Amino acid sequence: MLTTFKVHRYDSELGGKPTFQQYAVDLPEDATVLDGLFKIREELDGTLAFRASCNRGFCGECTLRINRGGRLACMTRVAATRTKEGEVTVEPTRFVRVLKDLVYDVDRQLWQKIKAVEPWLQPAAAEPNSEHVIPDAELRPIRNAMKCYYCGLCDEGCSVIPFDNTFLGPTALTKAYRFVADPRDGARAHRLRAVGEPRGMWDCVHCYEADEHCPRGIEPTARILDLREMAVSAGVKSGTTNPQVARHYDSFARSVRTSGWLDEGRLALETWGIRRALDLLPVAWRALRRGKLPIPYRHPKRHGAERIGKIFEKVERRTP
Amino acid sequence: MKVAFYPGCVSRGGCPELYPSAVKVAAELGLELEELTDVGCNGAGVLSREVSDPINARTLAKAEQRGLSTVMTICSTCTGVMGQASIRLREDTRYRERINREFLADEGLEYRGTVGVKHLLWILHEDYGVDRLKSAVKRPLRGLKVSPFYGCYIRRPEAIVEGKPQRKQYLERTIEAVGAEIVDFGGKGRCCGFPILSANETNSMAMVAAHTGDAKGRGADCMVTPCPLCHLNLDGGQPKAEAQKGAPIGLPILHLPQLLGLGLGFSPDDLQLRRHIVATQTVAAKVQLLS
Repeated sequence: MLTTFKVHRYDSELGGKPTFQQYAVDLPEDATVLDGLFKIREELDGTLAFRASCNRGFCGECTLRINRGGRLACMTRVAATRTKEGEVTVEPTRFVRVLKDLVYDVDRQLWQKIKAVEPWLQPAAAEPNSEHVIPDAELRPIRNAMKCYYCGLCDEGCSVIPFDNTFLGPTALTKAYRFVADPRDGARAHRLRAVGEPRGMWDCVHCYEADEHCPRGIEPTARILDLREMAVSAGVKSGTTNPQVARHYDSFARSVRTSGWLDEGRLALETWGIRRALDLLPVAWRALRRGKLPIPYRHPKRHGAERIGKIFEKVERRTP
Repeated sequence: MKVAFYPGCVSRGGCPELYPSAVKVAAELGLELEELTDVGCNGAGVLSREVSDPINARTLAKAEQRGLSTVMTICSTCTGVMGQASIRLREDTRYRERINREFLADEGLEYRGTVGVKHLLWILHEDYGVDRLKSAVKRPLRGLKVSPFYGCYIRRPEAIVEGKPQRKQYLERTIEAVGAEIVDFGGKGRCCGFPILSANETNSMAMVAAHTGDAKGRGADCMVTPCPLCHLNLDGGQPKAEAQKGAPIGLPILHLPQLLGLGLGFSPDDLQLRRHIVATQTVAAKVQLLS
């Protein structure tokens, strides 16, 4: 199977503009993209740089953008991914600092964000003299998250990172979840406050792209939502510099609880407070002119609203 | 076909033009709606599942009690949040029984797990039939260039499409069915930015500018969305997104029922196109030339 590999070439030590170099590679039908890269390096061009290790989808080292989608090169069959013209384009993932060809600065893109969530156990109690035995049921929720091998594919699929690479991203937030939910950890409130700051979990749009990109079935979006729910239960609904996030949650819950449905006018006012609400005047004026904002503004209770309020009460009674 | 109708909060709140448009279009198509008036907000992904699952179980139980098997929504977020809850409640009998016992029993309600949640968009393609829709079109929207914009929760997570990948193409098929022209663009399945409007407005507005600007740059006359929350951001947020970007965009955003309604022969005024923040006159003018 003769395939044209179009491979990203760049050398940060030499600078200049990145180019795509073409290689015609003859491969067996079942070859992977990583097989193709090895063949290029061994037979056609020894200067091509790329990362790879286990060659069986087990280490997350060969994350690349292949025909414009984030993938593991070792788990991507050439036959299944090549275009009608028989081409495979291989480049680094987006928004990374490229060091050489397909090798990029993983430290900046991933490890620094993971380090920011303090990815080590901070035990609540003194270390036991023997093994710290935990019942299986208590570890079950985090076992799946512990399967993460930091391939970065969830960050590659993230909706926010293309607009703001300072966002912690699903890989680091999943790591934070793993420790917050660990029954041995004693830094829960500290961790929840830290990931609740701007660029943390409240900046996630919960678009579920991460879940579709994760090759390990960890569902990072669902883990971020778990993290948020743990924060709400613990009363840590925002960080120190984004109090509007907590006000938004509280106002939302209050209006559903008391009227059965969402009072958007009240939500905007209570989220932003009166000073910031003045900034919203142009928006309100436009809405008023277009008849989007009724005068007088009314938010009647929905029929059966007291039943919805009762559900809130019961949940609160159950939560310690 | 008769369905339980869950209009959601925004179709009568921030997007008051959506509810009447949807009701008119459903009547014209012969879809019989039985509106659920005594149910609560589904939580919109803001409230925790601890609270929202019982609220949604109650909504589904009310539909079941009326002998209906489908709850129709007109919002991608309602579809996603209630749809995910309905899957959990259907598949996990013990969970459903616990919710029945703890939250619904004292109202004399019980949810048996028989109700599905479907957006109007899905009902049109899976129950009503796209050919029937085509034959109902009285004013083919020839020459109107429309970009699709789905909203996350009608496409992801994978469980929500229930093994029907074609659900990710229904908007395009709808644009074709009403005789308009599809202007495809890469952002159609991405996030509109609405969920982080309060947490990070800058990023939220950057998303609005990127999607509307891209579609406009590709020649779209307007964009159509099945999600009123996307509409709030893409339409209502567009002036702010333009200011942040430092360049005009001016892309009208239509609700799905408005696009359908134009094809079914309703006037722009019937569908309250004047209530949008981004002026829709260009769309109205183009459509009225077709009349």
